Amino acid sequence: MKSTRREFLWTLGGAATAYGVWQVPDLVGPAPAGDPGWSPLAETRHNSICLICPSRCGISGRVVDERLVRITGNPLHPLSRGGVCPRGIAGLQTLYHPERVTSPLKRVGRRGEGEWQPVSLEDAIGEIAARLQTLRTEARPEALALLAGHCTGTMEDLWRQFLRSFGSPNYVADDYNDGTDSIMEVVHGIARRPSYDLEQAEYVLSFGAPLYEAWWSPLQAFVSLSGNDGDSDRRPHLVQIDTRFSRTAANAHEWLGIRPCTYAVLALGIAYVLIRDELFDTDYVSQHVTGFEDFVDDTGQPTEGYRSLVLRNYRTEEVSAQTGVPVERITSLARSLAASDAPVCVCGSDVMLSRTGLLSGLAVHSLNVILGRVNRPGGVLVGTDPPLQPLTEPVIDSIGRAGINQPPVGDAPPFGSGDQATRFAAAVAEADTSRVDALLVYYANPLASSARRDLWALAFEKIPFVVCFSPFLDETTRQADLVLPDLLPYERWQDAPAPTSYPYPVWGLSTPMVPPHNGGIHTGDAVLALAGHVGGVVAQSLPYESFEALLKMRARGLFAVAKGMVLGDEFARRHHRDMEQRGWWLREHNEFEPFWEDLVQSGGWTDLRYDYTDPQQLSNTPSGRIDLLPAALRGGHGTSESERRLYVDVVPAEGAATEEFPLRLLPYRISTLSSGTLALQRWLVEQPGIFPDVPWVPWVEVSPTTARNLGFHDGSTVWVVSRRDRYKARLKEFPGTAPENVCAPYGLRHPDGGLANPLALLDGSDDPLIGLPSWSSTYVRLERA
Amino acid sequence: MARWGMVIDLERCTGCAACEVACKSENNIPTVPPDEAEMGRGISWMRVLAHVERDFPDTEMDSYPRPCMHCDNPPCTKVCPVRATYINDEGIVGQIYPRCIGCRYCGNACPYTVKYFNWYGPEWSETERLHLNPDVSDRPKGVVEKCTFCHHRLQKAREDVRVEGRELREEDYQPACVEVCGSRAMVFGDLDNPNHRVAELKEDPRSMRLLEDLGTQPKVYYLRRSR
Amino acid sequence: MKSEVAAKLATMDADEQALLRPLVETSRSFYVTAGVLCVVVLWGLFSYYTQVRYGLGRTGLNRPGYWGIYIICFVFFIGISHAGTLISAILRVSQAEWRRSITRSAELITVLVIGFGAIQPIVDLGRPDRVLNVIFHAQPQSPLLWDVVSIGLYFTSCTIYLYVPMLPDLAIIRDSGIKAPRLYKFLAAGYHDTQYNHMILERVIRVLAIVVIPIAVSVHTIIGWIFAMTLRPMWHSTIFGPYFVVGAIYSGIAASLIAMVILRKVYRLENYFRDVHFDYLGQMLLVLACLWFYFTFAEHLTVFYGAEPAEMRTFWSKVTGPYALPFWTMTLGCFIVPMALMSRSATRTPNGTLIAGIAVVIGMWLERYNIVVPTSVNPIWEIETIGRYLPSWVELSIMAGTCAGFVLLYMISTKFVPIVSIWEIKEGRAMVSEVAERVARYSGIGSPIARRVG
Ligand SMILES: Nc1nc2c(c(=O)[nH]1)N[C@H]1C(S)=C(S)[C@@H](COP(=O)(O)OP(=O)(O)OC[C@H]3O[C@@H](n4cnc5c(=O)[nH]c(N)nc54)[C@H](O)[C@@H]3O)O[C@H]1N2
Ligand SMILES: Nc1nc2c(c(=O)[nH]1)N[C@H]1C(S)=C(S)[C@@H](COP(=O)(O)OP(=O)(O)OC[C@H]3O[C@@H](n4cnc5c(=O)[nH]c(N)nc54)[C@H](O)[C@@H]3O)O[C@H]1N2
Ligand code: SF4
Ligand code: SF4
Ligand code: SF4
Ligand code: SF4
Ligand code: SF4
Ligand SMILES: [Mo]
Repeated sequence: MKSTRREFLWTLGGAATAYGVWQVPDLVGPAPAGDPGWSPLAETRHNSICLICPSRCGISGRVVDERLVRITGNPLHPLSRGGVCPRGIAGLQTLYHPERVTSPLKRVGRRGEGEWQPVSLEDAIGEIAARLQTLRTEARPEALALLAGHCTGTMEDLWRQFLRSFGSPNYVADDYNDGTDSIMEVVHGIARRPSYDLEQAEYVLSFGAPLYEAWWSPLQAFVSLSGNDGDSDRRPHLVQIDTRFSRTAANAHEWLGIRPCTYAVLALGIAYVLIRDELFDTDYVSQHVTGFEDFVDDTGQPTEGYRSLVLRNYRTEEVSAQTGVPVERITSLARSLAASDAPVCVCGSDVMLSRTGLLSGLAVHSLNVILGRVNRPGGVLVGTDPPLQPLTEPVIDSIGRAGINQPPVGDAPPFGSGDQATRFAAAVAEADTSRVDALLVYYANPLASSARRDLWALAFEKIPFVVCFSPFLDETTRQADLVLPDLLPYERWQDAPAPTSYPYPVWGLSTPMVPPHNGGIHTGDAVLALAGHVGGVVAQSLPYESFEALLKMRARGLFAVAKGMVLGDEFARRHHRDMEQRGWWLREHNEFEPFWEDLVQSGGWTDLRYDYTDPQQLSNTPSGRIDLLPAALRGGHGTSESERRLYVDVVPAEGAATEEFPLRLLPYRISTLSSGTLALQRWLVEQPGIFPDVPWVPWVEVSPTTARNLGFHDGSTVWVVSRRDRYKARLKEFPGTAPENVCAPYGLRHPDGGLANPLALLDGSDDPLIGLPSWSSTYVRLERA
Repeated sequence: MARWGMVIDLERCTGCAACEVACKSENNIPTVPPDEAEMGRGISWMRVLAHVERDFPDTEMDSYPRPCMHCDNPPCTKVCPVRATYINDEGIVGQIYPRCIGCRYCGNACPYTVKYFNWYGPEWSETERLHLNPDVSDRPKGVVEKCTFCHHRLQKAREDVRVEGRELREEDYQPACVEVCGSRAMVFGDLDNPNHRVAELKEDPRSMRLLEDLGTQPKVYYLRRSR
Repeated sequence: MKSEVAAKLATMDADEQALLRPLVETSRSFYVTAGVLCVVVLWGLFSYYTQVRYGLGRTGLNRPGYWGIYIICFVFFIGISHAGTLISAILRVSQAEWRRSITRSAELITVLVIGFGAIQPIVDLGRPDRVLNVIFHAQPQSPLLWDVVSIGLYFTSCTIYLYVPMLPDLAIIRDSGIKAPRLYKFLAAGYHDTQYNHMILERVIRVLAIVVIPIAVSVHTIIGWIFAMTLRPMWHSTIFGPYFVVGAIYSGIAASLIAMVILRKVYRLENYFRDVHFDYLGQMLLVLACLWFYFTFAEHLTVFYGAEPAEMRTFWSKVTGPYALPFWTMTLGCFIVPMALMSRSATRTPNGTLIAGIAVVIGMWLERYNIVVPTSVNPIWEIETIGRYLPSWVELSIMAGTCAGFVLLYMISTKFVPIVSIWEIKEGRAMVSEVAERVARYSGIGSPIARRVG
């Protein structure tokens, strides 16, 4: 009896159940959330992946009555293990955003005027095909370019195949590039970003990598560094070195504030102690490493090796003076690193996004090398891609061949691919006549997010035909001639590999959880349809009936290899790994169809065994050894910047604070937000960070002392002004900011949609070796607004 | 009778706020427009609060995810003139929206400031309505709401295990915030059931409760950072 | 004034003439003032309409600043209501002769202001449509229920306490026939000033006066407890009960003084509200100023000495922080001004007490502000954000409407009941010799005064 009464009370609404509100008539209140018409709702769960950031975590969607009502983590996913970040959860708000484009749109009136006419899909694709065919009949296929934003996996392969068979070399990537692939390329001869085996590491020394906030995969960091792998006693010791008191710093076991751009000095200072006290891995170095000792180079020149360079230049006191890190701290870091069985140093984009990015990155990575941490459990590993079945060999005709042999628009840096998008925009903007006649924009919004919006605006003026494949009328899409509304990830088939920071291959599969939005079209299907319309070799190169069919074809590669597993739970993962390590592998599916079904159900495929013995994953250099002093970086590169000597000139010569611009700008990414897309997630913008009083508004952080000296107080509205640009923000006092810096979170907008992009303030300098912009060499001043 | 409670390990919590947003999504918590948010009218049953100390480079910060503490001796329920907030015999402190008169007395009585008031009715656009959780009702304007320990999930779990004819297990009933935490900083269960992890964790030497000296007997425990 | 009424009035004695004149004679400025007040009231009603229509969002309230103007006004108005009944009851019980001319005006304040005070928490409700839940789902453990009960009782007893001593006057009006005969016939309820009736009346009044005192004390005690029953810094205090009662009486006397000065001026009651009244009331004000200071000082000193971090945040926010202005203005109004003016007989004049009264009323409103707001916006847990509260136009309009409504009703009431009790004045004149006798008795040795007074 007692419990029935209690149940009754709960039913009255205390439990927040829907029943309550329907049963108790409510005079003023709104209708209950659900549709009151339903009786038992059709409810399903779908495993999928999140495509919001490079982490590609496993998600699981709760679908009620064909509506996606919750996004949670997929516990089967080996990287994220059931965890998700706030952005992933709020993905719902992009799916059901009130401003989604509901049909293909054609511009009427002038560009950017916002006058659109809905057109049919057929007409839209027909029109693009006609424009593109003209380029081919004029034998100028290279005048087509694609700007590809968040584009990975088969979508990337599809676009590349399309461009290649069409005859264009202009695949322009506008995505996350931290340049660390260049480190691996020059030192190990493997042009692939390093992976970090955080799960098995014991001691993680992060050089400015925002592990918990941005990085490649916050979830990888959450899961590994919290010991969320079933074995909760074992957690790596995290030491965060940072220029500001970041969230990662806050939650690290230790944190170390450092002067901007001096990470490399600290790294080499640590190396100094390791070498001086003989604490490095002498066996490993003698077996696998070259360039450590002094040597005579190919031209017969006696050359100082790593050991001498470090011992000569990085005496602890000098390092301390340069970095601002106390001497004892440097020594103890070195000792702790050496004392740990499985230490690893993570090189963050803080290190790379500077004028001496590559050289600094090499300095950090050299610690992993001399400690013998490459290709060892808990160290730096070299990942592999999931063994997918390749696309058919593209058919290329003579027009196409001529096209792809043209140099791409925008020059490339000596190492890596650099900031392709900005270089492309600059080349188009600065040329008298554009070499680009048609630009396809997929999943990118450079007019809002590029550090050089000005260049992009100029470039757009010069490109006669722009098509955007985007579900939203973002700043760039508003300047398009045609808009094809893409589907959102929860409505579409898509695959994506795990981020390169994760050592094991994972093939994540995004499957449609809800029916596609009215009028939208999967860009993959749109590309296939476009290929069909363009016809000829392009159609022959993409003979797939749908993007889904294409993905299914690719999965045959996974079915064919005798390794890996369809995603499974903790027990299955462990079992599988143990078996594979002992050389066993049991086929679970004899037919492809059930394999595919399982794959779709579980959300992907993975192979959790890493072969530590494969020499190909250690070094692929001509000498067969890890090269600490690669010849490619010993010689000059024509520019004075790159005449810098490896392990010597690691600190950029840069402008100092002036009276006009007294504060150094440090742009950073907040964990809840970042680029344009995420401003669509209202839950996040309402409460973006730790400050309770910055809902919906951009802000900048300065130390309380600086604020006081400038005559501002917490909450003042200020202009952040650099030589190039300025924007308005709210000033927040934050004691974790060094007095000489301004920390500027990016990805925020004003409530009216106005941009507030600190990247637009950057001084425009870059690292000439890898072509990536320098992010913390810009000085600004704050003005009262 | 179960006594539901939570243990939050501050050592593991990264302050990522996934719990915050998961709660909003699970419990249909709308956003409020910018000017309203500025006034402090946003609703966040779970909120990750930060405590920052000392200047660069000695700064330290702790993040405290803060749901309702579901106090065993709740000061909020005592003051309610209509019993629209009450504690049930499993220790969950609930709200009865259709009865609440909106006096906000409970809000002032709660020492943890976890009660939220609906200054206006919830606003969802036509499309946003589609993603609402059908298990949880919208709150009308003028009433107080707060974390319910996702009680609707308990009801659902009860139904499920009844159908399956078995006992309720720890994993059958987990709140939305606990579920998404990538760092597994939060653990939820029956504090009195020795088979549940919370029963042991709450005895950890690092364990503490917020404003413990007030005698409210919160059922949310925190494990201090050892630093 | 119609001539027949004038003729009737002319037949009455001097006290009756002077005190009944306002009932039959209304000046132009009365209408103008009433018109203006009506507009303000309507504006207040409109503001409330928008609040009901759109939600409490139209106020400046927020989290954690959950209570604001409405609760301040609630405490303030109910406080003012201690003017009449309590003072008049105490004076009656102690047989203070000088009370005779001042009780009515004070009691009238009480009855009218309770209503305006009592609606404030309803205005503050998110769901005014569900206010009856307080009865349907009554929760004996909630201080709000105690409050509903005690205010209900208080209102009833004060109304009776106002009405019963008014009967002889109503009978006089009825018998004189100068105004609304049927209304006064009804109101006077068949009272005839026979000796027997008069004896019963006196007895009833004496009982009522005694009953009303504990009820009045309970009302503001419970209001104090509403705050004190929470764990909030600077609310959770044992002295809140008596502190609130003293504050209430203090603001009540101040309000009565203001009313008296104005009545005296506009109705030319110099003969009834004499300097001595202001002198005596001024002395009471002085005593209460000291009491108020004593409580306020004790309250803040204990908080300061205990130095609990949460309490200190609230404390400093009042003393030097964002609430320093209201805090020190309060101190000025509640202590410094009344002390300066009321401690010298030269300034215990009508004008002096008017200034002091206004200072105290403003000061006491601010006192409630300083109790409600700083604590409400300062959560106990230091990590929670400290809120800010700025009332919106809706709240200010409703407050203005409430004040205007009260003044308007009071004004109108003076047109229906003599604002000074006619029969008591007359009785007082008749009793001069009896009083002299009584006074003579006090001076006797071993007189049983202590027992007799009750
Ligand atoms: N203000 C600001 N500027 C930035 C950054 C920032 O965080 N803030 N970040 C910088 C960095 S690191 C990068 S990588 C770049 C990234 O910049 P962009 O590549 O421009 O990335 P976003 O703005 O996130 O997304 C681009 C657009 O994709 C659209 N979109 C969203 N979902 C989908 C979808 O499912 N399909 C398709 N086709 N389109 C979709 C949205 O309309 C969005 O505007 O920006 C850089 N500049
Ligand atoms: N939360 C979240 N995570 C993401 C994404 C997201 O959208 N949201 N997107 C992904 C994408 S697209 C990207 S590009 C990455 C970005 O990931 P990261 O680039 O690793 O993260 P940011 O915080 O943007 O990095 C900026 C940091 O670099 C420092 N810094 C700036 N300039 C310099 C410099 O010149 N030299 C040195 N040494 N340091 C400097 C700043 O202080 C700041 O801490 O995050 C990925 N992960
Ligand atoms: S980390 Fe990236 S991929 Fe993972 S849930 Fe968050 S946004 Fe999605
Ligand atoms: S989800 Fe977990 S790690 Fe993130 S803030 Fe919440 S408790 Fe902390
Ligand atoms: S935390 Fe607050 S709302 Fe929750 S039970 Fe305790 S007093 Fe009540
Ligand atoms: S706001 Fe509602 S739940 Fe809170 S005390 Fe008032 S009636 Fe009770
Ligand atoms: S238990 Fe449920 S209601 Fe409470 S904070 Fe967590 S998700 Fe929100
Ligand atoms: Mo990026």
